[in-house]
Amino acid sequence: MSMLACVILLLLLIFGTLFAAILDTAIPAWIAGQSGANPLTTPFRRCAQFLAVQRLTTERPDMLNWLLAPAAYLILAGIGLGVVPLSEGLVFIDLQTGLVLWGACEALTVVVVFLHGWSANAPFPLIGAYRYVAIGLPAMLVSMFVVIGVALPAQSLSVSAAVEAQRGLWNIVKQPLGLPLFMLLGLSLTLRGPFDYADPFDLAAGTSAEDSGPLRASWRFARLAMLVSFSTMAATLFLGGHHGPGLPGPLWLALKAAGVMTILVALGHVIARTTPSRMLTLLWVLFLPLSFLDLIIAGVESLP
Amino acid sequence: MAMRWLSRLAAADAVPVFPVVGENGLAAAENLFLDPRLRPVPSPRHARVLLVLGETGQTLNRQLRRLHDQLSHPRATLWCDAVPDPDFGRATESSDTADAVVEAYRSMFAGAMDTEPDIHPNEPPNEWRGKGTNGQGGDGMMGGTPYGRPMAMTDDDLRDGLQLDAYSATFGPFLPAFPPGLALDITLQGDSIQAVSVSHPPFRQETDHSRTGSLRNLARLLRVLGVPALAARFIAAARKLEDGGTIDLDVLARAFDWSGAMHIIPSDLGSFGGEGRDVRSRVRAWLNIARGRQEPAPLGQPALSFVDLVKGLEWYEAVIVLNSFDNNALRNLCPVENTDDQTEEAPQ
Amino acid sequence: MIHTDLLFYALSTIAIVSGWRVFRTDSMVRASFLLMSSFIAVGLIMLLLAAPYIGIATVFMMAVEMMVMALFMVMFMMNPAGLNPMQMVHQHRLSIIAGIVAFAALALAILFSDLPQDPVAPGKPGVADLGFELLGNSMLIFETAGVTLLATMVGTVVLSSRSGRFGGADEGSRPPGLEPGGEPAGRKPEEKAGGDMHQCHGPGRQHSEKQQDGDEQ
Repeated sequence: MSMLACVILLLLLIFGTLFAAILDTAIPAWIAGQSGANPLTTPFRRCAQFLAVQRLTTERPDMLNWLLAPAAYLILAGIGLGVVPLSEGLVFIDLQTGLVLWGACEALTVVVVFLHGWSANAPFPLIGAYRYVAIGLPAMLVSMFVVIGVALPAQSLSVSAAVEAQRGLWNIVKQPLGLPLFMLLGLSLTLRGPFDYADPFDLAAGTSAEDSGPLRASWRFARLAMLVSFSTMAATLFLGGHHGPGLPGPLWLALKAAGVMTILVALGHVIARTTPSRMLTLLWVLFLPLSFLDLIIAGVESLP
Repeated sequence: MAMRWLSRLAAADAVPVFPVVGENGLAAAENLFLDPRLRPVPSPRHARVLLVLGETGQTLNRQLRRLHDQLSHPRATLWCDAVPDPDFGRATESSDTADAVVEAYRSMFAGAMDTEPDIHPNEPPNEWRGKGTNGQGGDGMMGGTPYGRPMAMTDDDLRDGLQLDAYSATFGPFLPAFPPGLALDITLQGDSIQAVSVSHPPFRQETDHSRTGSLRNLARLLRVLGVPALAARFIAAARKLEDGGTIDLDVLARAFDWSGAMHIIPSDLGSFGGEGRDVRSRVRAWLNIARGRQEPAPLGQPALSFVDLVKGLEWYEAVIVLNSFDNNALRNLCPVENTDDQTEEAPQ
Repeated sequence: MIHTDLLFYALSTIAIVSGWRVFRTDSMVRASFLLMSSFIAVGLIMLLLAAPYIGIATVFMMAVEMMVMALFMVMFMMNPAGLNPMQMVHQHRLSIIAGIVAFAALALAILFSDLPQDPVAPGKPGVADLGFELLGNSMLIFETAGVTLLATMVGTVVLSSRSGRFGGADEGSRPPGLEPGGEPAGRKPEEKAGGDMHQCHGPGRQHSEKQQDGDEQ
């Protein structure tokens, strides 16, 4: 059972990452109105180009943490993916408190991004790192309340129970505020678009400014893997997970996750990024009360 | 064998280029990157080719050589419309710059061309210096100044009384987020700017006050705001206009609205004092000029100096403010200071 | 079960070793994150003890707390990466004595007390029981503790913030006058000296540009 789950998860991760990389090339090219490079081959060529060049270091970096950060990011994405039930009774990490484990993964992602910026010992990466912490932590708070809202009708903290509770009606219908707010977190976890305070252009690629060579490949791969993991989790919590007529459970899950991924990548390339102080105000004054509202709606609905 | 296969695959990729824009080179650079075979990268560490477009001048020679060494191997330098430095790189004609870049990139991976060697030695610029055998036992509890850098100390703050560690450095002159050529000596506390002075003004560019100029200014701002795909669309529209074609400005304006760029810029940012002189009104003016509804007008006498405009802002806000002026206005704003030879190396 | 024993020993080793490294490393940011790994190992041990919620919640909380601690170190500390060869610890003898005494006392307490021996029945819904306890018998404790903590945090920020009620807090703010432009009621704050605590740490911000002179290679 667990072996099958492991294999399916690895397949999901690899093909999902590839799909995400293809989207990341195709969608900006479509927005820019250019017939750019072939999106199907670009991910492989880009990866080869990263791996084939030299890795430079800065003057006194924290080398251990610099190499550890992308690996840890990837492991967190893997754990986040591992809690997701792939079909009836098929879960890799079967934990009673799977939702809290997902929250722990989110919190550790903030730590990992900070370490990535801190270890380069350069000004731009460091600024990107602590700017991201200031915004990533409240974004995580918003998502935690939304996830609690999902746990309420399931009457349990395990992800399998959350999927079971959606057998009749998906959570996106029952708790309409949940998925949009959760998508905000997705943008923040994967450092995209309006929440990309860690690797932005105005900081000359922020925490990745001093990366070169294979380190860039690992960081980029980890970001895409986290995108896959987040999309699968969003599909599980709000779109009914593996429920669906006809096709087997994992296939439905993959399709739903692909849909969420497309929306996230598109949002990331279309919406502009506001200043950090404004974003903080938005998070604390607008999105957090909205998440409370979502929690109240979920609670009222779960009353017997 | 695997390395060879990897190199062949890598050679087929789009070339990551770090553009160094000199005098009158900005429009050429923007047009160049519409080619899908090249992609501009924000950091020199990510680049394989250093492309100098336009004359950068002798005073910035030292910074340019340092920048060259920051690219990782394999690297190549190409000079376009500029007198090449004899130590590195080679000149190329402006008509086929993209082809030359691609050819240089591919020959590096094919092994036909060697990577360019370092100009400076790969050592720390200052020796590690402290008291005692292991550097301990300095004044009080501190052990000297390793690598010539003073300890980070907290300092008085402008905004809210939070005394944070202060960091002083020169930013620019080839920072992609800044207007090309602008070098600022900034003291940062966290990411808010405490003190700023101009050490090199931006290069002169052929400003075009008409619709295409406004489109290019908008594209630059959009790039800073984190939507480079939309920025590329604006540049493509500007080039099409320059070539004499027609474009649908309503589509562009709608895309601009959907990205929320106007709303996310804080109101009253970078304001000269008085109504209608902040970033939002300048951006709105650019949009109107692009649509032909307004004639371009000069900025008028600034009520604030450059330093007062940027001081106290957070880094991202400052970059937005700097990119909200067109080239002429910014050059008029910047006090032309004597180039200080004692500035620290540009940590771009 | 042999594999839970091995897992327990491995996690305990990680917890102890990373806890020791917290005090031996010079980089303060590394120290925060080593402390975080120590706590994560302990949280995972709690998973083995059939307390899944507390275990994962420990991991969650410690990640956020150590992150904020590391951030504060970068903001305020003079040597957060340990790159300067300064003495990062003080009062050696007192701390060694205190450490040995604490270790001896805790070891004695553990060795000579009767640890309970009631294993949890497998399959017992621990999380549901925890929920009933939190919002049933122990609700008063947890809710008042939560609200008190929140009030403390708000109060700390208000007290340390510079903007006082009638002006800047470091300017000796005074309430408005009894008549317009007149003297305020109550006592006047006396003129006090600056009192910048950081004067003892040497001159303030040093312009690094001057120090970097002569670095032509």
